[in-house]
Amino acid sequence: MRITVAAAVALLVASPGPLSAQDASVVRAVRTARAAAPAGAFREGQVIVAFRAAADERDVERALRSGGALEARRSRSGSGARYLVALEPGLSVPDAVERYSRMPEVEYAEPNGIVRHSQAATFKPNDTLYRFQWNLTQMGAERTWGIQKGKPSVAVAVLDSGVAYEDYFDPRTGQSFGKAPDWGDTTFLPGYDFVNGDAHPNDDEYHGTHVASTIAEATNNATGVAGLAFGCAIMPVKVLDESGEGTFFDVAEGIDYAVEYEEGGEKPVKVVNLSLGSEGTSQTLRSAIERAWAAGVLTVAAAGNSGKGVVEFPANLANVLAVGALDARKERASYSNTGADLDFVAPGGDCDRDDNADGYGDCVFQQMPDDRYLEIGRHDVFCYCGLDGTSMATPHVAAAAALLFSQGFTDPAAVRAALEQAAERLGGAPDGGRNDTYGHGLVLPAAALPGLGFNVGSKN
Amino acid sequence: MSTKVRPALLALLALAAGPAAAGELAIEVHAGYFEMAAENSASALFDSRGGGTFGGAVRYTFWRGAFVSAGARTFSREGERVFVAAPNAAVQKLGFPLKVSLTPVFLTVGYRFRDGKLIVPYAGIGGSLTFYKEEGEVAGEAFDDDRSKAGFLGLAGVEVGRGTFRVGAEAGYSTVPDAVGVAGVSKVYGENDLGGWHAVGKLIVAF
Repeated sequence: MRITVAAAVALLVASPGPLSAQDASVVRAVRTARAAAPAGAFREGQVIVAFRAAADERDVERALRSGGALEARRSRSGSGARYLVALEPGLSVPDAVERYSRMPEVEYAEPNGIVRHSQAATFKPNDTLYRFQWNLTQMGAERTWGIQKGKPSVAVAVLDSGVAYEDYFDPRTGQSFGKAPDWGDTTFLPGYDFVNGDAHPNDDEYHGTHVASTIAEATNNATGVAGLAFGCAIMPVKVLDESGEGTFFDVAEGIDYAVEYEEGGEKPVKVVNLSLGSEGTSQTLRSAIERAWAAGVLTVAAAGNSGKGVVEFPANLANVLAVGALDARKERASYSNTGADLDFVAPGGDCDRDDNADGYGDCVFQQMPDDRYLEIGRHDVFCYCGLDGTSMATPHVAAAAALLFSQGFTDPAAVRAALEQAAERLGGAPDGGRNDTYGHGLVLPAAALPGLGFNVGSKN
Repeated sequence: MSTKVRPALLALLALAAGPAAAGELAIEVHAGYFEMAAENSASALFDSRGGGTFGGAVRYTFWRGAFVSAGARTFSREGERVFVAAPNAAVQKLGFPLKVSLTPVFLTVGYRFRDGKLIVPYAGIGGSLTFYKEEGEVAGEAFDDDRSKAGFLGLAGVEVGRGTFRVGAEAGYSTVPDAVGVAGVSKVYGENDLGGWHAVGKLIVAF
């Protein structure tokens, strides 16, 4: 078993130098919009008062004053005496409305309600390197975040080379591990290191941190890049060693650990991310995945990077979402495996291309231990680095699934069906259908999250 | 005679005050229960198959017991958008608000048996035009539907009273085929009928 990274190139500068200062002026802060103001929302300290035609100016002035007006602005319209009244401090809007409504010369009085423009909510994060994340744009991340950002009660178990989630000195090896710089408030559940047999599943490679960061790297913290389900929790489970290899037994152990983990009477792990694969097969691992499915946990796995027409194990199992990779053109990445067992595609990148002309290869960029320091035993130096592969595509789908669980989905079969129905068909796949190159197509969480109405579907 | 009994007796006397006749015009107010034919869809979205309904009608008895009636009722339920993968799959509640309103406008013809008596059974059939409105919202984006569709209905009931003020009870079934089922949960469940059962009580003012 090996990890499925096609290439690791195109390092980005991680230090916040002139680039971040420049970004601050380019990247806008949070922007949200709603279709309508909450019911009953009104401007504090103001009421609208309309007077009857019979009321003369003296009546109006006296009424306004006795009702508690600090000042009043008459409507510029010639259609009646209508005033926007600023209330005296301490006078509530309901009290003022009641007071004015009782006056004989007043036709009506009402709060000055708030209206807003009608626009689907979006969320654009201010992370300094977010503009390089073509992958999140491809998945419709900003509209997705307008709907759901993820909940910490929903966790994704990342079974990989570990995650740089803590500052830790390992007395066994004498190595120092650091917490990657852009985790912010990301929640980590207690994980396990099945390679070394301890409770510190730190990343002695880089792959697992990169994968976990795609799911839940801190977002909108003016640092680094974003993660797709940044509100969700991560459970780091180390099943791959420093060279990216592991065993079926350890992966199965990791799945069981994640599925059985309980906190406060709840089992928070809803998704298992396996950015790994093998050309072999295993009853042990198959059984663990079946147990996960039966427990309501969805497993997402990489299709493989050999470019073959066969999806690797365990992605090829029936109860696993097999994920292939797209490049920035929304075409199958040349390395991405295809086949009848392929379920979805997601951004996996192609570091050898720069189709979006941003000056960098079209990798997936996330934080990870800087691989230039790994050989000297340093696991506490980090970069925002680009990788490509179906390993990188897989956490996009795992994150999408985690967002659906955060919205209220409880059944992995429903998550799978919702993602299938909402996916963007590619390569000429018929509406509602699939093909072996793209599966059901590109996962679009924003199209899956709305669910179904009585006679209205998930796509508007 | 106790004072408690007196109002009830007066009411009965009012109901029986005078005979109905051909050419009688009556105004009815209806309130009761409506259960959707698309019961699985309703249960998924609203946790119930039906709910309260109210409306009214104008009835004209034009020859002996034969009558024609025109009216409308409205039914609306609020719930939340869901996801259902298949008819037998678990309903996934998603928390996005949803409101469905049905307003059938109907025209019926029928016959009042024993017209002019204190207790008048009646039955009728007719056509309807049902206005359907669905309003959903997901983070600022509207997921709405608005349509109308013709259908049929049959009903039977009983009216009590002979005077100006009467009461009644009515049950009926309406069918509005091919009205929904093009998307949403109604498509998943294969339910395309916007009709259903109704049972209403009536307050009647006859002239």
